[in-house]
Amino acid sequence: MSVLIVVLVLLALLVRRAFFGYAKPDREFEILVPREVALIETTAEVMFPAGGAIPFSGLDADLPGYADRFLSAIEPGVRRQIRALFALFEHVTMFFPAPGWNGGKRFSSLSIEQREIVLQGWSSSPNFARQLVFTALRAVLTMGYLGHPEVLRRLRLAPYAFDSPIVEADLLYPKIGAHPDMIALSEEDLTPPSDGTPVDLEGPVHHLYAETSQEVAESPP
Amino acid sequence: MSAPRTIAAARNDGLRVYAQYDGDFEEEADVLVVGSGPSGAVVAHGIAAAGRSVILLEEGPPFTPQDYEFEGSLSMARTMREAGLRRTEGTILPTMQAIALGGGSLVNSAICVRPPAFIFDQWAEFFELEHTSREVLDPHFDAVEKFLGIAPTPENVQGRRNLLMKEACDKLGYSSEPIARNVRGCKGSGECFTGCRARAKQSMDISYIPEAMRLGARVLTSVQVQRVLHEGRRATGVEGQVVEPLTGRPGHRFRVRAGTVVLAAGCMATPVLLQRSDDLANRSGQVGRNLQFHPGVAVAGIFPDVVNPQFGATQGWQSLEFLRDGFKLETLWAPPPVSAVRMPGFGKALLERFHDLPYLANWDAIGSTHRSLGTVKARRRGMKPRLKWNFHHEDVKILTHALWVIAELFFAAGARKIIPGVMGLPPEMHSLDDARVLQTHPIKARDLISAGNHAFCTTRMHGDSSLGVVDEFGRCHDLDNLYIADTGIFPRCPSVNPMFTGMALAHRATQRILESL
Ligand SMILES: Cc1cc2nc3c(=O)[nH]c(=O)nc-3n(C[C@H](O)[C@H](O)[C@H](O)COP(=O)(O)OP(=O)(O)OC[C@H]3O[C@@H](n4cnc5c(N)ncnc54)[C@H](O)[C@@H]3O)c2cc1C
Ligand code: SF4
Repeated sequence: MSVLIVVLVLLALLVRRAFFGYAKPDREFEILVPREVALIETTAEVMFPAGGAIPFSGLDADLPGYADRFLSAIEPGVRRQIRALFALFEHVTMFFPAPGWNGGKRFSSLSIEQREIVLQGWSSSPNFARQLVFTALRAVLTMGYLGHPEVLRRLRLAPYAFDSPIVEADLLYPKIGAHPDMIALSEEDLTPPSDGTPVDLEGPVHHLYAETSQEVAESPP
Repeated sequence: MSAPRTIAAARNDGLRVYAQYDGDFEEEADVLVVGSGPSGAVVAHGIAAAGRSVILLEEGPPFTPQDYEFEGSLSMARTMREAGLRRTEGTILPTMQAIALGGGSLVNSAICVRPPAFIFDQWAEFFELEHTSREVLDPHFDAVEKFLGIAPTPENVQGRRNLLMKEACDKLGYSSEPIARNVRGCKGSGECFTGCRARAKQSMDISYIPEAMRLGARVLTSVQVQRVLHEGRRATGVEGQVVEPLTGRPGHRFRVRAGTVVLAAGCMATPVLLQRSDDLANRSGQVGRNLQFHPGVAVAGIFPDVVNPQFGATQGWQSLEFLRDGFKLETLWAPPPVSAVRMPGFGKALLERFHDLPYLANWDAIGSTHRSLGTVKARRRGMKPRLKWNFHHEDVKILTHALWVIAELFFAAGARKIIPGVMGLPPEMHSLDDARVLQTHPIKARDLISAGNHAFCTTRMHGDSSLGVVDEFGRCHDLDNLYIADTGIFPRCPSVNPMFTGMALAHRATQRILESL
């Protein structure tokens, strides 16, 4: 009986150590829970560190926001797999501790140096499965990081601004979810089709990727 | 035949989108076509053009430019089945199928290549086909080419990324050429994978389908066909459910009856549909078997000066020099997050590599890997396929040879380093000497970072009804009025990008269907 109690207490402690005590994020997420937000932020900090070749870090890039949008957009089965990947990454250091003082904590509670060592271990592992898990996690974060307008602007890889011609198909199909009666266009609104003029490499970028007026005001001359 | 109707009339009488379904319903037509990808759209257009009534059923919604998403993963999550994360079991191979009006044409690079005559000769020889040669199919290729304005990519929208491959091929004495595409007025925005904002790409939703609707075709979108109805040797219609766009949430039920049923749901969906319909058309036992891909490998080359890879036709240049050796070479661009996903490492080293993106060109090879076979099977519930596929070791050699050739090309063009994307090898190679390891190291299937977005053969044509599902014209051997018109009917991989061949075969099948009505 007393052995059972000890086991139960240990189990309770383990569960507490694994799943409780996460800081509440400063905003609501549709899918992500605080544990996942913490994992993504602390991984991003090491994956795309400040002071690198792109002066915009993973922490600046709001990767939890991206991951939440991505997870909301995909079907539940795949979503479960990705969340399982997050859980694996977050908790595996409790069983295979990172080197150094108190390395047996969950990933998001490790020091930045310890997290670097853990990621190094995953990325250079000769074990195929470990490499695959690391590649998958890095892929999700890379998608978010390189999809960020600021990063794309700095790399001069943001989509170009140009007007879409209005073609017959625009008179046929409403935006997804809308009723065709919502289409306000008629045949008079049709414009000449694209004449094949190349996009202007020096021209402005698409408005979703343009600096906001606030950013422009804040950025150094 | 009556005069084509206005586009407004076509919309009012011909189109149904999700917001318009308010209850269970039944419809009827001479011909029904399941799937609005390149193959199904050609059939629906041909039937409507002949003045016969036709209903085109598509599970995905129409996408407008307002619905496009620039960011690669979010775009795939919206336009692709299983959020673009579908993969095979056995050898893990990522593979995608679109779920949208227009099918794969909405998100593909619009590459249109006619397979050379020797490919069709092999098909004819191995699969007992009497009417399938390049010569016989050329008029069908011509008809599609004319309708879609298929033409070589003009030089002013090639961009440096594409032209560097030309330069490299010229230097090494390999033949190469601009890629012909179903595009009118390309601006070189490099966005083909996320939807063409310039409305230049002649995807089915802006080409064959609107024209079919003008000619009287009815198009039901957001409807998932779940079963083919049949009696004896005749298909009588289909039934299924309305599904909410993007979530797939099921809604009202429907049934469509038709004199002729054409399945063009794609080679990973049509077998599931047949298996869900009492294992229909499967006396040969070949439904869902023989799954083949053109697995692709890509190498990134980093140049000393800026390439500006985001400018230029998404895929604008190709070389068919090595087709008989089993691979085709192409240039490639995808949204930066997708292009960078294969970059190795993390931390400052990774950021350094991202910083190289403006100096990068991606070139890929697709392999004719007809020894590597798989299966498509229905799962216990739903319409999602279960895919198994195994990469044959001889086929792996084809792709490792291709990797070496791409390395040669990059260094000939002046690249300062390449990222070959092979697990177990150095992530970067700085000279052709470094790259020799591609020739000497025993590369295994799982070392390759590969993907296969060209898929075929799961309902293959065969002259012998005990060895194939359909005849050369796409008619199921077991039924009098059930046709299959997607790339599943290819008897073997076509060695070049499959869409054009699929459309040419669909064009020919349409004539046969019309003769039978
Ligand atoms: C990213 C990408 C790039 C590519 N680039 C090229 C290229 O440049 N050139 C080229 O030749 N090929 C390319 N391909 C391949 C090419 O797009 C396909 O071979 C082609 O689309 C196949 O046409 P299809 O009509 O057979 O099937 P699909 O295009 O897959 O069309 C089938 C349609 O059926 C619908 N459907 C499926 N199941 C059901 C159901 N149960 N009920 C109702 N509807 C259903 C699907 O939603 C889909 O719209 C590419 C593919 C991908 C994914
Ligand atoms: S490169 Fe751009 S403009 Fe040209 S077809 Fe593709 S998406 Fe359209």
